[in-house]
Amino acid sequence: MVSFIRRPSMSTLNVSNISDGTDTVATGYVVNGSAKAWGNLNGSGTPAFRDSFNYSSVVDNGTGDFTHNFTSNMANANYSLTATGTSSYAFWSVADNTGNTLAGSIKIRAYTSNVALADSQLIFSTIHGDLA
Amino acid sequence: MIAHLWDRLAEAKSRLAPVQSKYRVLFENPADPDAPAAVLVPDPNWMAAALAGGVLPPIDTYQRDRTVADGQPKEHPYAEPIGPMTEEEAVEYLVMKDIDPQVWRDYEGNRCIMKIVPVELIPTDRSFRNAWKINQEMEMAA
Repeated sequence: MVSFIRRPSMSTLNVSNISDGTDTVATGYVVNGSAKAWGNLNGSGTPAFRDSFNYSSVVDNGTGDFTHNFTSNMANANYSLTATGTSSYAFWSVADNTGNTLAGSIKIRAYTSNVALADSQLIFSTIHGDLA
Repeated sequence: MIAHLWDRLAEAKSRLAPVQSKYRVLFENPADPDAPAAVLVPDPNWMAAALAGGVLPPIDTYQRDRTVADGQPKEHPYAEPIGPMTEEEAVEYLVMKDIDPQVWRDYEGNRCIMKIVPVELIPTDRSFRNAWKINQEMEMAA
């Protein structure tokens, strides 16, 4: 006989603290400290995400220049982005063309040590901040 | 009560296998004609959620949120999720969400500045990546 287990529907657990029996932390530490988006992008050949969370798409703007679009936007542009990748790349710019971050997307550029835009096989990004 | 979009995405990622789209969107920015053609690549986890349904908000919520100032409450995180889409519908949704309306809605010139193409038509040789433009030649049926 074959039986099926129904996956429980999503629900909300409203708690102030989380404990493992020894240590207790306020739920706010977990919510605020979680990465709101992350991605592992192959920026060479035909660029595509290897894996990611909370990105809807990536736009290949040109050599070494990629816009990451959020699915669930950030509340404002005052979030924090960490971007890195292949070790031979010396500098990563994280802004739009006007030098600002945007609530709905982030632009990541990969530069060589000669400050020239270049494609990279590995482009990692992590976003922390408040969601809309 | 509708769960936040971010929570729905987390739940969807835990149960859906990612789907690499067979489509890419080529587009040019009419405000910057010297810029190379850009290529939009759908995210595999987003595509899985779009095909499954019950996760993503209606596209018009994103469009209305474009006019809402940063820091003000946005509509899309708590909007009622829409049902499953085909891959073609999902790519159209992405065009309207992630590409500036001046490309897909407002452009009135006679140059083709956007094309949805199979991934095989995107060159893998990026030697001249910053010289890419959309081919304007139209193939005529015999």
